[in-house]
Amino acid sequence: MRAGRNLLASAVISALFVFGCSRAPESSPVITIEHSISPRPARVGPVTVTLQLADAAAKPIAGARIVLEADMSHAGMSPVFGEAKEVAPGQYQSQVRLGMAGDWVILLRATLPDGKKLERQFDVRDVRPN
Amino acid sequence: MTPSLIPALETHDSQPFDLMLVPGLGRLFRWRHARPVLQAPLLIISIAMILHGLFGPTLAPKNLATTLSWLHFRGLLVLVLLSAGNFFCLACPFMLVRQMARRFLKPRFNWPRPLRNKWISVALFALILFVYELFDLWSSPWWTAWLIVAYFLTVLVVDGFFKHASFCKFVCPIGQFNFVASTLSPFEVKVRKQEVCTSCDTKDCIRGRREPSSDLVLIRGCELALFQPRKVGNLDCTFCLDCIHACPHDNIGILSRLPGEELLTDPLRSGIGYFSQRKDLAALAIVFTFGALLNAFGMVSPVYAVESWLGRLLHVRHEAPVLGLIFTCFLILEPVLLLGLAAWLARAWSGVRRALLPLVVRYSYGIVPLGFGMWLAHYSFHFLTGLYTIVPVTQNAVASLGRPLLGLPRWTLTGLAPNFVQVIEVGFLLLGFAGSLAVIHGLAEDDAPEKPLRAFLPWATVCLILWLASMWLIFQPMEMRATLMSG
Repeated sequence: MRAGRNLLASAVISALFVFGCSRAPESSPVITIEHSISPRPARVGPVTVTLQLADAAAKPIAGARIVLEADMSHAGMSPVFGEAKEVAPGQYQSQVRLGMAGDWVILLRATLPDGKKLERQFDVRDVRPN
Repeated sequence: MTPSLIPALETHDSQPFDLMLVPGLGRLFRWRHARPVLQAPLLIISIAMILHGLFGPTLAPKNLATTLSWLHFRGLLVLVLLSAGNFFCLACPFMLVRQMARRFLKPRFNWPRPLRNKWISVALFALILFVYELFDLWSSPWWTAWLIVAYFLTVLVVDGFFKHASFCKFVCPIGQFNFVASTLSPFEVKVRKQEVCTSCDTKDCIRGRREPSSDLVLIRGCELALFQPRKVGNLDCTFCLDCIHACPHDNIGILSRLPGEELLTDPLRSGIGYFSQRKDLAALAIVFTFGALLNAFGMVSPVYAVESWLGRLLHVRHEAPVLGLIFTCFLILEPVLLLGLAAWLARAWSGVRRALLPLVVRYSYGIVPLGFGMWLAHYSFHFLTGLYTIVPVTQNAVASLGRPLLGLPRWTLTGLAPNFVQVIEVGFLLLGFAGSLAVIHGLAEDDAPEKPLRAFLPWATVCLILWLASMWLIFQPMEMRATLMSG
């Protein structure tokens, strides 16, 4: 039983260490990313995600690289990946195929022209079946 | 073949296969530390799930708590129950913590006599299904983690106050699920030779063994009050191995048997009584079966249309009352209507001499295979289509520490193709349907030997309706929303 207690204590301490020390995602409050989805409401199938990047002075940020990942709110579903292309200065667009009705979450990973990286996520709720 | 060989072959064939005789496995199960050794890895995983659920990514597909709870645990649970037995109760991490806590907390009370039934656990089972839908537990690592914490705390409180395995027997909803499903498992903890038990004076399998001078428990007897010689089937058996360790004659094995056979008969069962007199057990079987359909219904597109329609009809915008109404319809009204009508028809048509309620109670066990088929179909779908997702989720959890020791997460790893898994789902549903028909036919033959078909048909019709509903459900487009009332 002593061995069991030691095992439990070690497990708790190591798990606390492991997950308690994880790093929070980087936040970049000075960069704004506005997003829009079409069609509205989104339906199962291809949807277009449009992103607008701007700095603190509301100046569009051109030349960024943005990768998208769309996940269902339920574990175990296949995520969808895409890369956004710049269609106008500071405006980026990507098409992703949502394979199932329900709530989706889109994760953005952007690399800015100065090399700074940032992550954002937004919800695409209530995707309708076809 | 000569006639003289036939009896010898039959005798040989009727010998059940004993898992305890498998080299290595039998030795492991006989080892007195087998259970803690099997529980320890699950406890470590549970702690990791709690911590990742509370402090890790908020997105369910990226989190260990949600991925392991709602995909891998549930999927493996039903598949192990189908292919072997109640081995998850054997490796239950909650019981390891309880065991450690009992070093300090000595329970003083016996579980109250009026509560020695399944009513609390039936209510908790239904409540967990309700909470799962209301709070969208599948999409919330945080809530999932708190559910696991709540489970640990409840175990500690219940078994801290009450002796024996009160939590397992009278409270634990997962345990009740396992007990009911394990009536269809191919293995059972059972005495090998009844005559050995007849000549046994000590009955250690139920009493345990104590140090004569200090009354210290050396080996526990069955904490769930199952006396091995009179134990029938898997109901209430946690496969804890206590009886195997306690038996001084090595007369208890883990024996093969015909799955579902125990649902066909109604003998006096140790620790349980007669099935036909246990309304609480029948209620558990009903919630188990109808809950299987309800749980799957919560994940397909039509449920949202129904909820929105009900919301408009009742002029409510909050989900709880609408969901409450759906649960009442599925878990109370529908079973009362279907089973009540079948019982009435069976009585009127075949002349079965039983009152209506006892007849419903008796045949409720017959729908368990159908329910298990639906749980299997549903949970194996999530498990198999998301089989490999545990790899990137674990990689991500390790990488979030700063060093990707397991490599960068490969998010493209998911699982088997849904179309392929759908074939397996249909197989499970067919298996469940066939099992229910077999059980009900056996009961009908007993009840109305002259007109078994007339006693069988009303119940078979209920099974057909439930099976068709299950088939319809698995072919519905899946939809997973945390915003039920928005549509």
